[in-house]
Amino acid sequence: MIGALLLIAYAVAAAGAAPLLRKGTWAERSPKVGIIVWQSLSVTVIASVVLAGVMLAVPAMPFTMTLADFLRACVTVLQEQYSTPGGAVVTTAGAFTAAAVMARTGYCLFSEFISARKAHRSQSRSLALLGRRDPSGRFLIVEHQTAAAYCLPGRNNEIVLTSAALGALDEDQRTAVIAHEKAHLRARHHIIVAVAEAIHRAFPRVPAFSIAHSEIARLIEMDADDRAARSNARLTVATAMVRLAEAGPAPSAALGAGGTSALARVRRLATPSAPLGTLHAFLAVSAATVMLVLPLAVAVAPAASTAYAQTCPTGFPAST
Amino acid sequence: MHRLGQLESAIMERMWSRPGPAAVRDILEDIQRNRDIAYMTVKTVMDTLHRKGLLDREPDGRAFRYRPTQTREQYAAAHMQEVLAGGSDRTATLLHFLEQIPADEVAQLRAVLDRAEQDKTQASK
Repeated sequence: MIGALLLIAYAVAAAGAAPLLRKGTWAERSPKVGIIVWQSLSVTVIASVVLAGVMLAVPAMPFTMTLADFLRACVTVLQEQYSTPGGAVVTTAGAFTAAAVMARTGYCLFSEFISARKAHRSQSRSLALLGRRDPSGRFLIVEHQTAAAYCLPGRNNEIVLTSAALGALDEDQRTAVIAHEKAHLRARHHIIVAVAEAIHRAFPRVPAFSIAHSEIARLIEMDADDRAARSNARLTVATAMVRLAEAGPAPSAALGAGGTSALARVRRLATPSAPLGTLHAFLAVSAATVMLVLPLAVAVAPAASTAYAQTCPTGFPAST
Repeated sequence: MHRLGQLESAIMERMWSRPGPAAVRDILEDIQRNRDIAYMTVKTVMDTLHRKGLLDREPDGRAFRYRPTQTREQYAAAHMQEVLAGGSDRTATLLHFLEQIPADEVAQLRAVLDRAEQDKTQASK
């Protein structure tokens, strides 16, 4: 019971930390570390709630050596649990919470991937009809008067530029754009975004998940910028962005108040700040690891402690 | 691109470049100038294109005459609209180099870039 309450308190605290975590520029300085931290935060919140439910539903079972002992212990514990009306309510609520959160998350992940696959199929069919391959073979060209560059991850991993985008960029800038898109494909950013999106859709009222989703969408772009800047000058990547923005489509609908991430991207390409130091990066990754391990550790602790008690004869009445 | 996709695109390419409707045999003869291909193969793919809504057809004797439901330009425009509609509300299907940006922000982007380029040329002097 106490373990479950601790886990729930921890989940609330972790979710509540999201708005604070968004502040500052730490993630922009090392986008890859930032992505890991935001992913871990989402996972830890969901895992804590599920495991708290499980802990309420399944009272700590004494660790036993034989199946007969285990079953006897189960019956005793469950009898105790259901002998009081409160116990039954708590158990049912816990089981329901765990099952509901898992089912909702699983369903949204599943439907996200189904709809992505459907959209992918229709996209690649249109591309087969409309795209012509660039002589270099690196990307497809679609005739269109709006400048756009994107990639279609999948078996073929296509990179697509419209004819207007080609016209807006010189050879170096073109190479920078392709390097950026290649980085997306290589790092499998589409899966990272899809998972964040699915979690956000599963629990749209949880601000932490919506923040994690928008932060991850922003950070994968910065990560791809950084990877592109390894083989291209940073200013070339920035120039390609500005040129495409100038030749690009005017937004059809008003965007959210936060504006776009383009300005932050150009700024950090034009005047880069140093990436996180080794110590800070280490701390961030350690925090992410703790977030992943902690819920499970708390949930397993009672069972582990009974195991400990039994293997150490002191303080445990001999069963004979 | 897989073989079937190539054939679909070869057929659509020919349909789009024709002024009027065409029978399977017309397209077949056109393609056969470049490579050997069976009548049934072309017919099957054209039926598929009809089922997918890319080709219209009307009976003509014992066969059908086909015509594209959209011009190539219309089809490209619809495709790009779908691509660009993503905007900031992205799905996992496409990863854009850049989301759509309001005009005033484009000007800001340009200003940041110009300043950085100025600093660079000054530094190298």
